[in-house]
Amino acid sequence: MDDYQINAEFIEKPDSGAMLEITNLLKENDLTFETDIDETLLIRIGDSLAATGSISGNILKCIAVKKEYKNINLTGSIMTNLINREYQKGNTDFFLFTKPKNKGIFLQLGFSPVYEVKNSVVLMENNPLGLDNYLKELKKESRSKLDITGKAASIVVNCNPITNGHLYLIEKAADECDVLHLFVVSEDRSLFPMKVRYQLVKEATSHINNLVLHKGSNYIISNATFPSYFIKESKQIIDIHARLDLGLFSEIIAPALGITARFAGDEPLCPVTSNYNRLMKEILPKHGIDFHIIKRFETDGEPVSASRVRKCLLKRDFSSIKKIVPSATYNFLASSEGEKIIEKLKKAGK
Amino acid sequence: MKIIKTGIAGTLESSDVMITVRSNSGKGIKINLQSTVKKQFGKQIIKVTNNLLKELSVEDALIQINDIGALDCTIEARLAAALYRGAEQSEYDWEKI
Repeated sequence: MDDYQINAEFIEKPDSGAMLEITNLLKENDLTFETDIDETLLIRIGDSLAATGSISGNILKCIAVKKEYKNINLTGSIMTNLINREYQKGNTDFFLFTKPKNKGIFLQLGFSPVYEVKNSVVLMENNPLGLDNYLKELKKESRSKLDITGKAASIVVNCNPITNGHLYLIEKAADECDVLHLFVVSEDRSLFPMKVRYQLVKEATSHINNLVLHKGSNYIISNATFPSYFIKESKQIIDIHARLDLGLFSEIIAPALGITARFAGDEPLCPVTSNYNRLMKEILPKHGIDFHIIKRFETDGEPVSASRVRKCLLKRDFSSIKKIVPSATYNFLASSEGEKIIEKLKKAGK
Repeated sequence: MKIIKTGIAGTLESSDVMITVRSNSGKGIKINLQSTVKKQFGKQIIKVTNNLLKELSVEDALIQINDIGALDCTIEARLAAALYRGAEQSEYDWEKI
């Protein structure tokens, strides 16, 4: 090979020239440049873009090497750079998406498969014990209820924040099973921070004896398993992500806890959640999980939802809020902590 | 030496190795080896690793080794760096490493 100079750099917002080079290189490898990318690595040999890879939070994606530069282990260079970048940012556990045919390359670089959707995508993680540790944690949290035999069901909630609507769904589901596993989405992309959402759910559901509370962590509706829940994507991509998230849930997480059913509230308002419900109805039963939709709890002819609470919050309409949220949520919103959230909401609305 | 956080050293370039150490308090040593030359040198890599762990009195750690054909001295150097980082120590015991 001729003499060449290898040069690697990270850029945050590629200019139109760089963007064209990146998209062409990705296209050559049957990939597209995604919308939620924080940083992109460009490896040049001479003037030509030889390899690229991107970071989105704790996810590595859009990794590609130009055809004429294959077989000189540029994937190793990309991964070294991306991994070091994640560590610099304090992320020690991270994930990557790739096509099933490229799984072997990343296995050799130390990534372990989490879940594979046949013929479309495989999610891998750098910590070989990541998923195992999560399953152990789930079992530990369920310890007090493990001797209960009978039907175990599940609900996954974001609860941004928890309302009487959520509570109605949770109580209804808890009535219909022997143990209810309630997962709170961990991804911190909502108005209310994860810690607050989780704490309010914990307080508001403390009276339900057969309930076990879990964190969704990286493995349930997270940036890793279901990125299009948080960003706008095409229908085809949302479908693949849903298959990944729901496949992982029903084949690995549910069996670990003996879960055979999942409940959700019907979703008349939010298109993303309503689409997710449609996909659950289609996918879960195929994996042996019964899916039940429970009609939304309504007051004054309107469904009680977290978005309704947020709307009232923006108007500081505390008397309306009081009628549709549990006391834990109300007390929080009326506190100085709640005041900070209102400020954040106002800023976001501008 | 006590591993208290995740430490990493090395690269995935040819003839190098990337080593990640994680805490595993009270649960001993666990080594996970990925190597392009595992068949030929797997045993030797584990031996070099265990010797240095003993030398530095590491009792509990999860060690992930991603080897792209590194020499023994490279493996030792990368492992020592990852361990010191994971133990948040910067006082090096030069006689041992």
